[in-house]
Amino acid sequence: MTKVYCIGCGVVTPVGNSPETVLAAVREGRTALRLYQDTPEPYMASLLSREGFSGPSFLEHIARQAAWSAIVAAGIDPAGPRVGLVLSTIKGNVEQIGQADVSLAASANRLAQALGVKTAPLVVSNACISGLAALLQGMRMIRSGDYDHVIVIGAEVQSRFIVTGFQSLKALSLEPCKPFDAARDGLNLGEAAAAMVLSATPHSAAEIYCSDSFPKNQFSATNAWELVSGAVRNDANHISGPSRTGEGSYNALRCVLKGVDPEELAFVNVHGTATRYNDQMEAIALNRAGLQNVPVNALKGVFGHTMGAAGILESILSMYACDAGIILPTQGFSQMGVDPAVNVSEQERKTDKMAFVKLLSGFGGVNGALLFRKGGAQ
Amino acid sequence: MDQLITELKLKVIDALNLEGMTPEDMDDNAPLFGDEGLGLDSIDVLELIVLLEKNYGIRLKTPAEGKEVFKSIAVMADYVAANRTK
Amino acid sequence: MKHVTIPSGASLPELYRQWAGDYPKFFKMDTLSKLGFLLTEMLVAGEEGRFTPREDRAVLVFSREGCLANDRHYAASMADFPSPALFVYTLPNIVTGEIAIRNKYAGETSAFLMDGLNQSLLWDTVRQSFQDPVTQSAIVAWINCPSDTEWEAQAWLIERNDLM
Repeated sequence: MTKVYCIGCGVVTPVGNSPETVLAAVREGRTALRLYQDTPEPYMASLLSREGFSGPSFLEHIARQAAWSAIVAAGIDPAGPRVGLVLSTIKGNVEQIGQADVSLAASANRLAQALGVKTAPLVVSNACISGLAALLQGMRMIRSGDYDHVIVIGAEVQSRFIVTGFQSLKALSLEPCKPFDAARDGLNLGEAAAAMVLSATPHSAAEIYCSDSFPKNQFSATNAWELVSGAVRNDANHISGPSRTGEGSYNALRCVLKGVDPEELAFVNVHGTATRYNDQMEAIALNRAGLQNVPVNALKGVFGHTMGAAGILESILSMYACDAGIILPTQGFSQMGVDPAVNVSEQERKTDKMAFVKLLSGFGGVNGALLFRKGGAQ
Repeated sequence: MDQLITELKLKVIDALNLEGMTPEDMDDNAPLFGDEGLGLDSIDVLELIVLLEKNYGIRLKTPAEGKEVFKSIAVMADYVAANRTK
Repeated sequence: MKHVTIPSGASLPELYRQWAGDYPKFFKMDTLSKLGFLLTEMLVAGEEGRFTPREDRAVLVFSREGCLANDRHYAASMADFPSPALFVYTLPNIVTGEIAIRNKYAGETSAFLMDGLNQSLLWDTVRQSFQDPVTQSAIVAWINCPSDTEWEAQAWLIERNDLM
């Protein structure tokens, strides 16, 4: 099976606009989560500043920004005939509903045009797992032999539409969320954009990860991050509540862990939305998959739930953390609140392992898992 | 109270898209949730919470409160009669 | 390879009574989900072992408008009392979840959006999904629903062999 590598990343978040600065922010426990009062009921969210922005679509603006960073880091020509584009967003420009064409397909077209991509773009909209599903789609496109590079972008902006919707489901917490905690009472919403350039070859024309924090000699051609395998599985149970036995999540994990020793994993970066049901379900799935001792972490206590961006943003941070030899802390966690327990901590931990699993779940009963491994590591 | 019960049944049928059902089909005391009942689920609870606020000005805070109030049409009617602000 | 269509504007309650009739949750669905549900009923009615849970059948729904027809209903409800029952359908992939729940498909479910029915992009994506070694067949649908009364709706039941 053709190997697929990540050769460039870009992020736009309320705590930084490069993977290095965001990593530092997460390590310092910073977050942009705060209370907003611009809807009938207040809500806790991590939002980007729109100061100085005046274009037609803030969503497309941040998606473009993240994509450009990734393209520059990767050193590819986006106009090549074998360069693909996959966009992950759940609600796109929905804040303009009734005033403009808010179709996600139109957004993807405009993005392709702005970035100079010539091939027909595809939107993956698979609820909260979209970012992970988009990465899987990019992997498949490269493995098909039809593409050398795929730009995978995840982006989401918040709006009255989304906020009031989650409020009607009573899914939101008015405090910074507490993944896996005994007192957890719901999720927070977030905004971000994140992009990866996937490639059939492990090195880029530009020098990857070339910054002061990551000395060049650490990143030779055999050392790029590999997207090894991914799977999406449905619970076949309920459209908005997770399976009580973690069916789909467990099945997705089982698929990507085939032939993999859990001992190899530095951590599993999970969905961890801090709703009563999600975290409990993930705990069950992780235990069923034999991962009860593997360190677990969740990042939504920093960024909130960035929906279409989550799978990509959280994976990027996981790669950078692993490179730095650390397991990022789970902000918001203090007391175990799931049974069976999971190996989660509010402290930063050390690791010397070079592989991790990204796990997500979403409405519609979808669950996704993706195994990342540092190239050259076995 | 009879009028309120019929009115509630009609609103529930409409809000929850219970196709083909009429007030005559609904037993006042039958459980709304669970297998013996109409088999309503967690989204239905949330929709009934909206129904109470929209039509009767009653604000329930959590689905857990809802489960108690929505035990049956009769229980709902008693609760509405006692707490309505509209 | 089986292929079915639902003509634009057809009576969905009629088709429900003809092809299913035993699934009241149908009436809670948005138009996109109703169309996906019915197309699948038409494809797999009478299939042997139909309701036995399986992981080897993917559900892949393609569209341009996605769930926007329902989004407009939700946006209208937002004006005074946002409706949770409408909000849960404001995702283009819920249709795949409804199909999975009804038919006990515990395999891959995905929703894709593209600017019109691009046959080569659609079938390339379907073929790529079979890179998952567990997937042996797929419900593939193109459902474009600009409103509750007009649409393009067609679906195929594809076996791995069909793509060789």
